[in-house]
Amino acid sequence: MTGIPLTVIGGYLGAGKTTLINQILRDPQGKRYLVMVNDFGAINVDASLLASADEDTIQLSNGCVCCTMGADLFLAIGDVLDGDMRPDHIVIEASGIADPAKIANVAVAEPDLVYQGIITVVDGANILDQLVDRFVGDQVRDQIRVADLIYVSKTELSDHLSMQLTTISKAPILESDAATIEMLLSPSTPKAPNPTTAPHTAYTKWFTEADVAFNRNTLIYALQNRPEGVFRMKGFVRAETRMLSVHVVGAHIDVTTFPNDVETGLVAIGLASEMNPQDLNKWWAKAKEKALTPYSML
Amino acid sequence: MQKITVFSAKKVITMDPNQPSATHVAVLGDRILAVGQADCADQWGDVIHDDSLSDFVLTPGFVEGHAHMMAGAIWDFAYAGYHDRIDPDGKLWSGKGDLNTVIGDLSDYEKTLPDDQPLVGWGLDPIFLQDERLSRKHLDQISETRPIAVMFSNFHLMCVNSKALDMVGYTNETNAEGVIKDDAGHPTGELQEMAAMFPVMRRLGIDFRSLSQTEPAIRSYAKVCQRAGVTTVTDLFSTLTDEDVTTLTSVTGEAQFPVRIVPALAAIGAAPAEIAQFALKLRSMSTDKLRLGAVKLMTDGSIQGWTARVKWPGYVGGQPNGLWNTPPELIYELVEEMQRAGVQMHIHVNGDEASDVSIDAIEAASRKHPWPEARHVLQHCQMMGVDQFKRCANMGICTNIFANHIWYFGDQHAALTIGNDRAERMDAVRAALDAGVNVAIHSDAPVTPMGPLFTAWCAVTRQTMSGRVLGAGQCISVEEALHAITLGAAYTLKLDRDIGSIETGKIADFAILAQDPTESDGIALKDIEVKGTVSSGVVHLI
Ligand SMILES: [Zn+2]
Repeated sequence: MTGIPLTVIGGYLGAGKTTLINQILRDPQGKRYLVMVNDFGAINVDASLLASADEDTIQLSNGCVCCTMGADLFLAIGDVLDGDMRPDHIVIEASGIADPAKIANVAVAEPDLVYQGIITVVDGANILDQLVDRFVGDQVRDQIRVADLIYVSKTELSDHLSMQLTTISKAPILESDAATIEMLLSPSTPKAPNPTTAPHTAYTKWFTEADVAFNRNTLIYALQNRPEGVFRMKGFVRAETRMLSVHVVGAHIDVTTFPNDVETGLVAIGLASEMNPQDLNKWWAKAKEKALTPYSML
Repeated sequence: MQKITVFSAKKVITMDPNQPSATHVAVLGDRILAVGQADCADQWGDVIHDDSLSDFVLTPGFVEGHAHMMAGAIWDFAYAGYHDRIDPDGKLWSGKGDLNTVIGDLSDYEKTLPDDQPLVGWGLDPIFLQDERLSRKHLDQISETRPIAVMFSNFHLMCVNSKALDMVGYTNETNAEGVIKDDAGHPTGELQEMAAMFPVMRRLGIDFRSLSQTEPAIRSYAKVCQRAGVTTVTDLFSTLTDEDVTTLTSVTGEAQFPVRIVPALAAIGAAPAEIAQFALKLRSMSTDKLRLGAVKLMTDGSIQGWTARVKWPGYVGGQPNGLWNTPPELIYELVEEMQRAGVQMHIHVNGDEASDVSIDAIEAASRKHPWPEARHVLQHCQMMGVDQFKRCANMGICTNIFANHIWYFGDQHAALTIGNDRAERMDAVRAALDAGVNVAIHSDAPVTPMGPLFTAWCAVTRQTMSGRVLGAGQCISVEEALHAITLGAAYTLKLDRDIGSIETGKIADFAILAQDPTESDGIALKDIEVKGTVSSGVVHLI
């Protein structure tokens, strides 16, 4: 896949979305981020990083770019895709009341983009009140429901809050911005992890060579029933007569025909505390047994 | 020396209670010098008598207080809607009552297009079509080689042909929400919401930005206005870059440009204080034909899309309450900042919960920063009750009511959205006037066609498409309706000092009509023929 990864950061007013984005811009780890925000006022750009700024674009010396999306987010995305600058990753800060799924869906629909998940930021101190607010409660709940990753800011995650969030969404819940960014940046090239790199604190990886041919619907069924704790899964699997590209983020599963013959392999990434590679090994072994069983006979 | 021109007319309806009608109006430059009989300006010296309008009735130029500039350039696309409509150049596009007509008419249109151009249609409304749903199979009959996209009237949906699906790469493996599939799992061609439509729009070069603020878009909009007798028009929810303002200033500055444009800046994309400061800067750049400085706030969605925020008991079909586009917390913040800075607001409110919150926010802001002359305007006001109108009257808040909605969507509201009793008191112009609120009425073009006389007819008769009268208790008189489309609307734009009536000293803006709207003669208001306008003293016949 050659599309540009797109991540949406959602969450109600004051949740801490901008703080998270500032962190990303400050230390992009060698990637060129394009960040789309509602207004620059909220983005506190480090003066030492500022390369240039005009009416609706800020360039940073580390290669990142920040732009305001104005009235029409989608047209702004189109400008990026059709423009000269090709970022490594697009991050969109949704407005405080927006449904992040309605934005992120564009990355599923547009072949030049790759869906890279929705991170919903939750203000730990106020979220329980926000959820029962007579005006915005339902919309705040929906922002959490569609999340692939939940980041609780401002307070520690209490058991009570954790339980409340779990009733709304199955997405992994993170408490530290560093871990959240690590998950966001986690490389997902479908290769075996390099044993020389130091293990990360936040996430863990699992890999299989996926050297067996699948029926497409059966593969989708297996992916739907994967062990809990997998945030992202990516790779190539052979079907009877063609190559399939697999792209899983949270509840979103994409399995599409890939035109070229490439090496098969599947990599999963999840929170170290939630994803157990042993479970994945067992799951994959079981899936392989039924690989060519038609979906209707499962 | 400028010459004094005295126009004679069959009748001049002035909207000035001191002289409700006259036969002549004298114009000096862009202003009205005198109103009365043939000799009305003789005190001022030599006059030239102009009888070219003597067969017609003159009224104050109509003021459309809620419309959007894309109402002009949208006609760059092929009309595919249910109702007859007339484009900016006067061409009649007949309504398409069934799918066969949609396909047939678009096929004829397709033959006129250059080979390399996609076919883009707009205005389709499946609510009114009894047939099966439009799909790629129908559009493939028009062409299998040219990409085709037909946008629905609400702009939230479109249907495309197989060629367009192929260009994006939508297949049975596509998993995007909004790419509708048939029972066999293949895309039907229907695409719902922006995320699913975007890849097609990008590849077909459909860019909504070019429908506003470009020179051709401004000129098309002016033509739409001229045909409707409108001499002052809003563009509510403008993005106004420096370049946009330069273009608008130069085009509207031409002596022959026939309409005064009042854009309201979209209050998004920056912190409230920045928006306010930008609006104030824009205000200082105003010219006679370009009145800048107001802002537009969005609050909720639409009633027919079940996205308006409505009070208990909600929607009759049990749908969940609608969606805020701006959360109440932020509405309070924006309203307070605009009130503090002295920026007039137009606030979109469809559901009665959205209007309640907006009135509360204005009340809170006015306690902190009193501004009796603010004239903030609630726009649409579709479900407001007497209680809300009285609060508006007390606080000097204006209401611009969506009267066209009664005819276009009234039956749907009674049957599907808020039920019969609340539908009968929708768009309650009578209640608003009785409460003492300043009232305007509008089309929200291109959502419904611009035509203040049609809008007035809707408010007077409250007839729906099925012919029923929806809430006779809310009907108003012809005089009241004419006031709403002239002085009433001018007041909401703070322009009643200059326009809205035919009075000495005001700008010479007239609508030229073939018949007298105050004398029924068996002719409905909506059927009165508009012959053109006089804008700032310049005659623009159609
Ligand atoms: Zn509107």
